[in-house]
Amino acid sequence: MWYKRTIPLLMVFFIGLLGFAHNYVPHPLSVSFRERMTTWLRIIFGFALFIGAYSLLHMHVTRIRRRQAGWAYSAFVFLGAAAMIVAGLWNDGFGPLESPAKGVSTWFDWGYDYIQVPCSATIFSILAFFMASAAFRTFRARNVGAALLLVAALLVMFGRVPISETIGGWLGESQIFPAIADAIMEYPNLAATRGILLGMSLGAISQSLRILFGIERSYMGAGD
Amino acid sequence: MPGPENPPTSHSARRTVELIVFLGIVVGFLVVSGIVHLPPDKHALAPSGEAEHLPIAKGPDDDAQDEQAAEDEQVDAAGSWAAKSVGVILAAGLTLIMFSFLYRDNPLFKMAENLYVGVALGYLAIITWRQSLRVEVYDPLLRAATSQAFWAALQSRAIPILLGLMLLTRLSKTRAWLSRYSYGLIVGWGAGVGIFVVTDSYILKQIEAAVAPLYTALAPGVQPAVVFSTLWWLHTALPVFGAVVVLLGTVSVLFYFFFSVEHKRTGGAVSRVGIWYLMVAFGASFGYTVMGRLSLLIGRVRFLLFEWLKVSQ
Amino acid sequence: MAAAQLDIRRMTIIRHTIYVLVAAAVIVPYLLEVPLPFRPSSSSRKLFDVIEQLEPGSHELLSFDYAPDAETELYPMSMALLRHCFKKDLIPVVMTHWPDGVGMCKKACEEATAESQQLWGKETVSGKDFAFLGFKPGGGDLLFNMGENFKGAFPKDYYDQPTADMAALKGVDSLRDIDLAIDLAAGATVRMWIAYGSDRFDFPLGVGATAVIAPKLYHFLQSKQLVGFLGGLRGAADYEIMLDYDELFETPGVATRGMQAQSVTHVLLIILIVAANARFIANRLGGRQEV
Repeated sequence: MWYKRTIPLLMVFFIGLLGFAHNYVPHPLSVSFRERMTTWLRIIFGFALFIGAYSLLHMHVTRIRRRQAGWAYSAFVFLGAAAMIVAGLWNDGFGPLESPAKGVSTWFDWGYDYIQVPCSATIFSILAFFMASAAFRTFRARNVGAALLLVAALLVMFGRVPISETIGGWLGESQIFPAIADAIMEYPNLAATRGILLGMSLGAISQSLRILFGIERSYMGAGD
Repeated sequence: MPGPENPPTSHSARRTVELIVFLGIVVGFLVVSGIVHLPPDKHALAPSGEAEHLPIAKGPDDDAQDEQAAEDEQVDAAGSWAAKSVGVILAAGLTLIMFSFLYRDNPLFKMAENLYVGVALGYLAIITWRQSLRVEVYDPLLRAATSQAFWAALQSRAIPILLGLMLLTRLSKTRAWLSRYSYGLIVGWGAGVGIFVVTDSYILKQIEAAVAPLYTALAPGVQPAVVFSTLWWLHTALPVFGAVVVLLGTVSVLFYFFFSVEHKRTGGAVSRVGIWYLMVAFGASFGYTVMGRLSLLIGRVRFLLFEWLKVSQ
Repeated sequence: MAAAQLDIRRMTIIRHTIYVLVAAAVIVPYLLEVPLPFRPSSSSRKLFDVIEQLEPGSHELLSFDYAPDAETELYPMSMALLRHCFKKDLIPVVMTHWPDGVGMCKKACEEATAESQQLWGKETVSGKDFAFLGFKPGGGDLLFNMGENFKGAFPKDYYDQPTADMAALKGVDSLRDIDLAIDLAAGATVRMWIAYGSDRFDFPLGVGATAVIAPKLYHFLQSKQLVGFLGGLRGAADYEIMLDYDELFETPGVATRGMQAQSVTHVLLIILIVAANARFIANRLGGRQEV
């Protein structure tokens, strides 16, 4: 139906056209249009969180209801979320409508400092072990490309740590290894990442044009 | 897993040994934590560990300050030494539980992982409420100082609030089409603005930077140095060489990703050069990624040594 | 079948041995403390010099766009930058694009202000000597907002103080009035700050990045879209050296200490990779398959 499909598509086109064109129009109306749009979007994004939260909680509710594998662990998700939300709304007596006083550490902050921070930091630090093990077992110079990758990786890994300056000093020039690492970063790495950025940017522009002209419509969700 | 080479008796014996070791670790953890974190320590560390660097020279007013600090602790329960000590012990326990995944996936790890997901979600919800919705929506409308302020706030916020609520209809099977208006605004504006900023910042400025060193080194009107002199090497030859290396790399990498043309003969050679540049860049990226991941591990070890075990530095 | 079982057991033993070696390589340097001197890199020095040249009273916008998983690399940078600001009487304006980052911002601001009296002989007060604005959603749109109407984008700070008459934000009506912005980034916010911030509103931008994203920033440094950047734990350690932590605290900084462990683990990994490749090449030359 036209109000379910056509109007949203037309909206995308005209808002997009204005979003592009206003950059070339220095008139105060154009500036105030941008300010209004960005203020609106700031408010709209505040509501977007609840979609993600609902999806996550719905997934765990479904897991519990259907007694899927590991369903009992989903209770901890609700426990953690409920504890933080209650602590945050109670706010050590300040309530949900005030901010806590400066320098006061609330139970909400306690939950963040002693549960979220260690769990978050540790989960990603486990990757260090996996990376070391994977590098030992699979990182091989099987061909020219792999050999280049390996040599560059070893030179950068060595050049960026202080021990390379100590060892360089024994060999007569303490800055030799850091200089090699810097040269790799500032020449071939810079060239390749610039090439990748240019390619990605051209792709992003093409994708934006497809969205504006209604060719790309995945954001509309199911039913179209 | 029990099998012909791994008979059930050796499997259950292994499980028994694992259980005994696990219980030993838990008891050891609790004993060590209790010994280290009791009795109360007035200079209990903050989670970051930064406080350990503070100069600790005492002055004449420090006793009065300590008394005031003790009074403040009674008001600020979550910041008291007991809460901090329990917090550090809990954080250390969660850290070790997460590390237990290295041995094997286990129920404690799954519990901690799910708890973390829940806590993170709760934190996100409260911060979004406090910093965004309360300040932008609730306070201007429901705590407006005057009716004039209320109408001004309503006038400027009615449409985005309506669009925000329509966004939530995405979760409904029958009303999801309403969210298309909100998404249309978000996506349309993002696409339109994106064309301009991407072209300017990521394409034009980068191309300019790729060519500028060549222009600067070979600019007309600049007094040329004597060829092959030190000045010439430093100010002309090396910068030009570096710029050519970078330009060659950029073009060859871009060409490599251009799949509409077959990479044969000259094109194949250019593409191969591009692959070499990419390999060096991926190697450099791998080196840095190793550095980054090891840094995270270093941070956790520092926490366990200096904040949980309170090893002296 | 038996050979496959043995193979799995062998790989498991190798894997766990490597885990133990890596753990030992991190723990032992902390216990033995072998100092390894190093010089700050040129990109770190560039950023430090830019801040050194700012006049007292200049506004430095610090965007702590990271979550707790980047704490080890970026929190020492956050503290070093705040300490540098208070040392030079600059006015840091702290904010974040990441909701998870609010806790990190709060911790850093409160620690830096708590030690200010002892380190610099002066009290630093929120709203007067610095501003902690907190989090707002919007990403690039938020930057556009800040660029046109800074106080409109943040009508209140984290502690609910109105920003309209805030002393710390006097003279800051737009991002154009910021003397320097630094994005401490663990993700894609650097490109966002460049495209929607510094390139649109013409203010100098520096970056403190995790090591994972640092390699992707060198072309922005070369194009002068960044005035300097700190890369990973090494960048934080460079900054601590340049701020003279040894003199200030009588011990090396957190990041500087961490570099000792980083050195040992890197050398361990290099040895493992080289040894594995030497065996691989020897097998290939001998016509044998790698087992």
